[in-house]
Amino acid sequence: MANALELELKHLIIDTLELEDVTPDDIDRDEPLFVEGLGLDSIDALELGLALQKTYGIKLEADSEESRRHFNNLKSLAALVEARRVT
Amino acid sequence: MTNAALLSAPWRHAPLDRPIGWHCAAYAHDAAIPWSVFHGRVGAWQALLDSLAPAGQRWLLHLREPIEFAAALIACWERGDSVVLPADDRPETLAGVDHLTQERLGDITGGHRAGPSAETPRWGTLDADALALSLYTSGSSGEPQRLDKRFAQLDAELGVQAQLWPLEGRLVISQVSHQHIYGLLFAILRPLCEQAPMATALCRYPETLSDWLGRLEETRRSQDSATPYIPPGAVLISAPPPLERLPQELDWEAAPLVLARIHSSGAALSRIASEHALKVLGVPVSEVYGSSETGGIAWRVQQQDECWTPLPGIEIRDDRHGALWLRSPFLSSPDWQRQADRIALEGSRFCLLGRADHILKVGGKRLSLTGMDRTLGTYPGVIQARTVSLPERDTRLGAIVQLDPERIPLDHDSRRELIASLRRHLSSAYESTVVPRYWRFVDIWPTNAQGKLSNALVRQLFRDLEDHRLPRWLGVSFEGDERCQVSLEVPERLLYLQGHFDEQPVVPGVVLVQWSVELAREHLPLSGTFQRLERVKFPQLLLPGERVTLVLALSPLDRSMNERGVRLSFTLQGRQGVHATGKIVFTTQETHDDE
Repeated sequence: MANALELELKHLIIDTLELEDVTPDDIDRDEPLFVEGLGLDSIDALELGLALQKTYGIKLEADSEESRRHFNNLKSLAALVEARRVT
Repeated sequence: MTNAALLSAPWRHAPLDRPIGWHCAAYAHDAAIPWSVFHGRVGAWQALLDSLAPAGQRWLLHLREPIEFAAALIACWERGDSVVLPADDRPETLAGVDHLTQERLGDITGGHRAGPSAETPRWGTLDADALALSLYTSGSSGEPQRLDKRFAQLDAELGVQAQLWPLEGRLVISQVSHQHIYGLLFAILRPLCEQAPMATALCRYPETLSDWLGRLEETRRSQDSATPYIPPGAVLISAPPPLERLPQELDWEAAPLVLARIHSSGAALSRIASEHALKVLGVPVSEVYGSSETGGIAWRVQQQDECWTPLPGIEIRDDRHGALWLRSPFLSSPDWQRQADRIALEGSRFCLLGRADHILKVGGKRLSLTGMDRTLGTYPGVIQARTVSLPERDTRLGAIVQLDPERIPLDHDSRRELIASLRRHLSSAYESTVVPRYWRFVDIWPTNAQGKLSNALVRQLFRDLEDHRLPRWLGVSFEGDERCQVSLEVPERLLYLQGHFDEQPVVPGVVLVQWSVELAREHLPLSGTFQRLERVKFPQLLLPGERVTLVLALSPLDRSMNERGVRLSFTLQGRQGVHATGKIVFTTQETHDDE
């Protein structure tokens, strides 16, 4: 059962990055978001970082080891939002 | 031999009883329109122009009927006027030309037309250096540009064509618009100068072509000494779109007997299409390579030689980037001019290697779109591909990919899989940030009337990105004026998918009806107000990512019902079967006030 936050984040990714061939069902919570898996790239990472800041008030160091870890997959992203959200 | 030079105005001395026009849908006795009638039309147009303004004007001219167009054009020239030919008759196009011209002439809003009675024409002088006409580029590489042509330029080009491919009295049948340079030269000015008859209408559909060729052959066979002049054959002025789509199943028996030559221009004809046209019509295609700016540059018959032979008088060279340079008597400047196409010289001939690199900055990186097109072209099943930058999004590219029909993805999963595979194919040579994000898969290469993938078509292919109420438009093909087939996909982010069923997003039926109406208004001559739905059914659910074909057809209403208007039939079909079908009635205002 997909949890509500993960579904919300799937929509956030699709809408922010304007992915036209991806539905929420296509995003696996354990699959890498970047390179393999969903195939996102460095421009997407920047845009996603901005969207997280705007939506949840989470600030991330651009291109840090920490950010990369949070952006690993949907599960880690949800954990980040759960822990750090201010809104 | 007839003196065919434009500057000697051969139409003045044409044998008056010979035909300049030929009603292809009729039989011999009433098919011909003699030169005497044409002279009367030139006179009638001059009478109209005289009533509007003194000589020395520029006129906007748009007229579909070839003979009447030719009469108006000659009337202007012989009066000492010039014309501007708009590329099409859309209100915005015409408005963009108005500021250059005195008045509009022809079959357009506000266009003046000559009266029906014949008048005696006045002949003037054609000055080699005077402006004859202006026309517009097709807009495949940016916005349409206006080009001025002097009489000497047209004269030089027509002379070369007449020398290579003399008409010798054959009937000229055209499938291309004479508002553009190719149709103007081949379908209007050459018959006028070489005194060969032209068909009285554009031949828009293959059914019409099959019928016309059959009739001409029958007329020729039943010819006896008492019959008036009958053209000894025909020449077809065509382009890649109609040649690619020639249906084999029509009756083409007369084609090889009647057709002496087929011309194609506007874009290179694919090898497959060239073989197809030869197989169906029995005549090889003589292609002409050129552009509105340059006029004709070279020609080829693919079955004889894949390379292009420069037209007589044209000089060709390349540079270290492989770009084509040319010097041409058809150009206003005698200097060498660089072209956007890359070539490989083979002696005096050359092969075309595609557009010179189109370099673009994507996300701050310089990228050759042409190079990416070539890489995409090597993927199995890809016939051709064009990478494009998209308006509104400068960081991401789109790609238009023509595939073998059996490889076209039909649902969300197959489309996603194909995109992933194409991305992997590109990833060996390109960074992921420049790999196209938006993909449009087509089975027929989308082209405008000139055979080009124009900027307007690119916008149409990606318009669902900007408006989430629209289906993804992937091309339209026509069968007659009142029937068309539109290829569509359901965007995964379509606005209407939410809130219908909880678990399974589907496109609501009312949206399918709305799409049918909007696309019919866009592609068919549909007018009137929505009246009612008839026998509407939605047998299969339509899911996001599915690809469907929408067939739209107009038919008149039964007059006995005391209604005026049309009935639109629509059928939306996909791999699973029919998703929507029905009819929609539109009525136009009743005007019974005077009865």
